[in-house]
Amino acid sequence: MKTLDVQASAAAGAVDPDWLAARRKVALDYYDKLDMPSDREEVWRYVDFDFVLGDFGLVDEPGEAHEIDNGIAAALPDIAGSMLLVDGHAVSVNTGDTDAVFGSLRTLLADNPAILEPHVAKGTPADMNKFAAAHTAFGSDGAVLVVPPGTAIERPFFVDIQAATDGAVSFPLITLATGESSQASVVIRYRSDDELNALVVPNLELAVGDNSQLKVTVVQHWGVGTTSVSHLRAVVGRDGSVHIGEAGLGGALSRLQLQIDLEGNGSNANVVGAYFGDESQTLDYRYTMHHQGLNTDSDMFLKGAVQGESLSIFTGMIRIDEEAQKTNAYQTNRNLILSDGAAAQSVPNLEILANDVRCGHGSTMGPLDEEQRYYLMSRGLDGPRSDRLLVHGFFNEALAKFPEPAIADVVTSWIDAKYRAAQEAGTV
Amino acid sequence: MSVALQVSGVRARYGDLEILKGVDIEVPFGEVHVLMGPNGSGKSTLCHVLMGKDEYESSGSALVDGTEVMGLAVDERARAGLFEAFQYPVEVAGVSLNDLLREMGEVRQDPAYAERVEAAADTLDMHRFRERSVNGGLSGGEKKRSEMFQMAVASPKVAILDEIDSGLDIDAVREVAHLVEELRSDDLGVLIITHYSRILRYMNPDKIHVMVNGEVVRTGGPEIAAELEASGYVDLVGNEASIPKPEITPFDV
Ligand SMILES: Nc1ncnc2c1ncn2[C@@H]1O[C@H](COP(=O)(O)OP(=O)(O)O)[C@@H](O)[C@H]1O
Ligand SMILES: [Mg+2]
Repeated sequence: MKTLDVQASAAAGAVDPDWLAARRKVALDYYDKLDMPSDREEVWRYVDFDFVLGDFGLVDEPGEAHEIDNGIAAALPDIAGSMLLVDGHAVSVNTGDTDAVFGSLRTLLADNPAILEPHVAKGTPADMNKFAAAHTAFGSDGAVLVVPPGTAIERPFFVDIQAATDGAVSFPLITLATGESSQASVVIRYRSDDELNALVVPNLELAVGDNSQLKVTVVQHWGVGTTSVSHLRAVVGRDGSVHIGEAGLGGALSRLQLQIDLEGNGSNANVVGAYFGDESQTLDYRYTMHHQGLNTDSDMFLKGAVQGESLSIFTGMIRIDEEAQKTNAYQTNRNLILSDGAAAQSVPNLEILANDVRCGHGSTMGPLDEEQRYYLMSRGLDGPRSDRLLVHGFFNEALAKFPEPAIADVVTSWIDAKYRAAQEAGTV
Repeated sequence: MSVALQVSGVRARYGDLEILKGVDIEVPFGEVHVLMGPNGSGKSTLCHVLMGKDEYESSGSALVDGTEVMGLAVDERARAGLFEAFQYPVEVAGVSLNDLLREMGEVRQDPAYAERVEAAADTLDMHRFRERSVNGGLSGGEKKRSEMFQMAVASPKVAILDEIDSGLDIDAVREVAHLVEELRSDDLGVLIITHYSRILRYMNPDKIHVMVNGEVVRTGGPEIAAELEASGYVDLVGNEASIPKPEITPFDV
């Protein structure tokens, strides 16, 4: 395994065109300069790292891929293309037969660098934090989708991202760009074994072209020993629309820092989340919705539950620029606290500079509702059965808004099973 | 005929507030009874205490077809044959009526259940609500209809319908009254709770019980309803010295 140093960065950039080499060099400087984030910074509050990035190494050869499918691939019988990335390397690619460019970053850097230049390594600024800097400095592969203007692809693309080597760090990059008036859907699944101690830093960058529609579904199902610090940045053009659903289930610490820039007039974003923390997990969401254009709409809707000793964090920021008149922006975060030892933090923020806007936020946390429980029990359902139905219903409100209903169904059955197991173990 | 519901000496308090002061009511199978009384007299509390809601401290006896239900869990009472249609049914967001119906079926293991669901949904025109969340965004009348629907599929031995007529226009009240009359059977005892007497114009109750201040102060035949219509509630029980005047709310007739 390679340590994270200047040689490793050079090796990762072996096939870089000049423009990417330049971005990588800047990022490496930041990586050297920046400290590990500290929970004294607001954006890292409640998160305490017991490692430094350099504790993990880069692999030359990816480990063995996970054989067991957790139902996601089966829920996608008809896909437009697929890719498997293990330990940050593309190990198999089915480019599909659509008019879009879909492939591994490394292959496309060799075959078609011109199409990548406007998009790749542009989403998350390298100076944002040490993880972001490391991503661009040491990342070497990923998935790229570029949809030409006017092309609508109904079938989803599937990107399977796995960690398989103990002690390894990987930096998968997912770059998705939709041309004017195009349409695409991408499903991303994260997976690792529970026994594995690994660090994954995925970056997602979404360039949503004018009047195009991009759907992204992320299923985070890391093993309990995996730490994931990810970033998602989306820039949405005029009348463009981005629809993101994230299901957060696994990981020791799983963090997603998301920023959507509604740059174009009439653009909109719909961001849904469902997360379920267990044992000593931390699930950490830092979302920013930045309204820049006129007449833009956004809705953030996240529902989470915590049991065991787990912790969830949601901080949501709606920022409305002075020019962004006629904005509609909402954020909702509801949390179920299912065990005494579990906790949730929920901090909605608004920063509104325009005067002609509609904006709202709601945040709740607490146990299951006693009145609802009584009502269901009065229909003959015993207590545990009533609780299961309430937990199911709680998440259903979010999962029903997911971009790919078939994926939402799989997530629903995992959540139902996870809660049922906790009931049987007597931990809720 | 044997007794569907036999309530004897039921008392209940909420914290320091004594709400029910020893209630006796008997509803035989095949009969429809009405429990009337002004707002705040304890009618809903009686329902909840019979159903087993744990926020009240209660004592006394309630037999459902001879089975003592006081002390049982809420769901056990339901499965013993008791059904309460709520005055204020709570919304259960994210849980569809179909989800609830499926679970109700699973706990009952009754081969006739599925057929009963379809038949009741036809009769009550409930199909369009089945994929929607339980009581979510329903009007007052629709919620009452949904409660009647769940009662029909639960097929209880005792049905207590709390203010099934409140918030309804007169046509809907008539419809509800007719539905209750249709449900009347030798396997069921019904207790309708109301503080209006108007629903009584459209049905033929076997008995009327009047509750004031947590006690049943009068039980009689349908003629009580006529008295109430004619002279209001105060005259009916005005001679009862135990009733403090300020707490008496006249019926809206
Ligand atoms: N959960 C409760 N908390 C506080 N007071 C209650 C509660 N339930 C009932 N009460 C009180 O008990 C009395 C009877 O209420 P209720 O049974 O709802 O009357 P009714 O249904 O006849 O209108 C009222 O004074 C009411 O405020
Ligand atoms: Mg009442």
